[in-house]
Amino acid sequence: MNRHARRLLLVVLWLVVADVFVPPLLQRAEHARYERGGAFRFENSDLFALGPMVRYLREHPHGDRPRAVFLGNSVVFGYGIDAREALPAQFERFARGRRVFNAAVNGQEMGDSLLAGKAIIDSVDTLFVQVIPHHDAARPILGKLLPVSSEDAQRYGLEQFDPIEARLRSILGRVWRLYASNDRLQAAWFGTSTRQFLYLHKRNWIVRRAAPPPISPHISPVNLVSPRNGTGDPTSISQSMVALADVAAAHRKRVVFLHFQRAGDALDPNVAGAFNARYAPHAELVIVDVPPALYSDRQHLTPDGAASVAAALAAHEGLQ
Amino acid sequence: MIFTELRFVLLFAGCWISFFAVPRKMRMAVLAAWGMTFYALFAGWFLAVVLALTLAALYVVPLAAGLAIVGVLVYVKLSPAIVPLGISYLAFELLHVAIERKRGRLRELSLPKMLAFAFFMPARAAGPIKRFAPFVAAVEAAERSAENVYGGLLRVLIGLAKKFVIADLLALTVEESRYVDSMRHAWVIVIAFSFRIFFDFSAYSDIAIGFAQMLGITLPENFNWPYLAANIREFWERWHITLSQWVRDYVFTPCGRLLFRTPLRPYPAVIATISYLITFAIVGAWHGLTPAFVLWGVYHGVLLSAYHVVSIKMPAAITDRAWYHGRPMRFVGMASTFLFVTIGWVPFFLPMTKAMTFWMLMFGVRR
Repeated sequence: MNRHARRLLLVVLWLVVADVFVPPLLQRAEHARYERGGAFRFENSDLFALGPMVRYLREHPHGDRPRAVFLGNSVVFGYGIDAREALPAQFERFARGRRVFNAAVNGQEMGDSLLAGKAIIDSVDTLFVQVIPHHDAARPILGKLLPVSSEDAQRYGLEQFDPIEARLRSILGRVWRLYASNDRLQAAWFGTSTRQFLYLHKRNWIVRRAAPPPISPHISPVNLVSPRNGTGDPTSISQSMVALADVAAAHRKRVVFLHFQRAGDALDPNVAGAFNARYAPHAELVIVDVPPALYSDRQHLTPDGAASVAAALAAHEGLQ
Repeated sequence: MIFTELRFVLLFAGCWISFFAVPRKMRMAVLAAWGMTFYALFAGWFLAVVLALTLAALYVVPLAAGLAIVGVLVYVKLSPAIVPLGISYLAFELLHVAIERKRGRLRELSLPKMLAFAFFMPARAAGPIKRFAPFVAAVEAAERSAENVYGGLLRVLIGLAKKFVIADLLALTVEESRYVDSMRHAWVIVIAFSFRIFFDFSAYSDIAIGFAQMLGITLPENFNWPYLAANIREFWERWHITLSQWVRDYVFTPCGRLLFRTPLRPYPAVIATISYLITFAIVGAWHGLTPAFVLWGVYHGVLLSAYHVVSIKMPAAITDRAWYHGRPMRFVGMASTFLFVTIGWVPFFLPMTKAMTFWMLMFGVRR
């Protein structure tokens, strides 16, 4: 055996040995990220970590603590504010004893929330979904990231792996665990892909930043309205919302839909009442009326605004 | 990326095993069969079009074959909905065969060799642009060895690292062009793009060369430290070498010869300038039939023409001095070549109007 053949053999042996350590490494990293870690939010508000998070939740339907997952767009994600200041993290502070996941992604629509919600409904105690009226689309890439039914794939025009490629991936993933787990490891370690993480933190390579100061938000009253009766067609708001409510009812889980009431985008309480009358107790549509001073721009909440909504929501859920 | 798809890896493994399992004289047929399977899998119905063009380059009158190849290339470049796999590279390879047939230089043409050449799996997606005779010689000389497999694998891994670790990371900085807001920011983005395109493009070449090396087949190198070039002509001798050589042989030189038969004969600098401009307008259009790509090509044509004129007009009193050929001067040349090439990349990653705005921001004309 010549020098090059020996080197090739050494590389293969190294991969075989390294593969043994992948499952415990993944287990430790995911447990730290999804069960014990601080405020959970996707590092870059992109979809990379959504798939790994969904796979973890599906494989671990019961966590160390009861789980709440927030789905929505940049309003829930906390555009422009620290992860600890976003609505879900603030909710975790008020609803003690719960593990809260901020699974919101900038630009997310109701179709995205429906697909993600369906995939994790059995592993979650309460799902909080931001209502984005008349935005029922889903991003095509979700077909490759989440387990979706063929009906949903067709309905939303989702991308799918080539069947041969998917089969080969599955076979290789069974014998090479590092190959199967590499995206999950990246998501658990970095909350996004490695390259996004390096890009986002490139300045920290040169200048070490000081630890962020503790947050101490000022709570203002926020009005949450949940009409019990009414007439109207809830599908006029969002077909995906109604579909997710049906899923919650079928799985005997609870989904709370949050509609941020704003000028020009006001929800008819009659329609909300009709929805609540039909789906209670499994689904509830709550109208969130936030004072204008708690918005940083036309739609995004300030840290105090997110904390105020979180406090009102925790009280509404009877968790305080 | 096709090279990281398991279908490709599996196909390549099958190709490698059967390539060395069959007698030598069958190797061309094996490469052709696996290459066509690969193309059918990744390009679908376009296999029929490419097959027809390949047969045309082999059997049809060269002029008619050439027109058909250019026609298909222009058509797909103008149709954003159709993106056939590696058609730009394939078209130039087939044109090379048609032209060399017309010149009577290709004597060993046969269907299996032609199909193996046209559908050679590792180089089909993104080059390098092969030449028929060296390719056939390389296949015939191919030997199975652990050294080739190890060396090829290493080259593939280097390519993957360049693509996924460096180029894709730099691409995130390039994406900042959507909200560029200052002169400094614009320069950071365009320098990031300079390195991004080098690492990305050379990565594809490394991977293709690596896979071919595993089969014991040597493909031509495509990049040779282009940003260390001391002038723009040297840059094009180091950047996308196979394309540069192709346009030199089939556009620049014939164009120059043609112009020498015109009243421009006493003006070689004018002939060189016109030839450079035509050649690099074609290079730009080859990358994409948009005004921005053509502008990028013409920009390089202008740089090359300017360098040509300056270098022939430079007085001997300067060129004979030792310092003119010294290291400091070479460093100045490298820095200025990099600067000009970098400025030129702007229309390569931005559409025309945005490129203009970006340039204005780079030079402080607009804030």
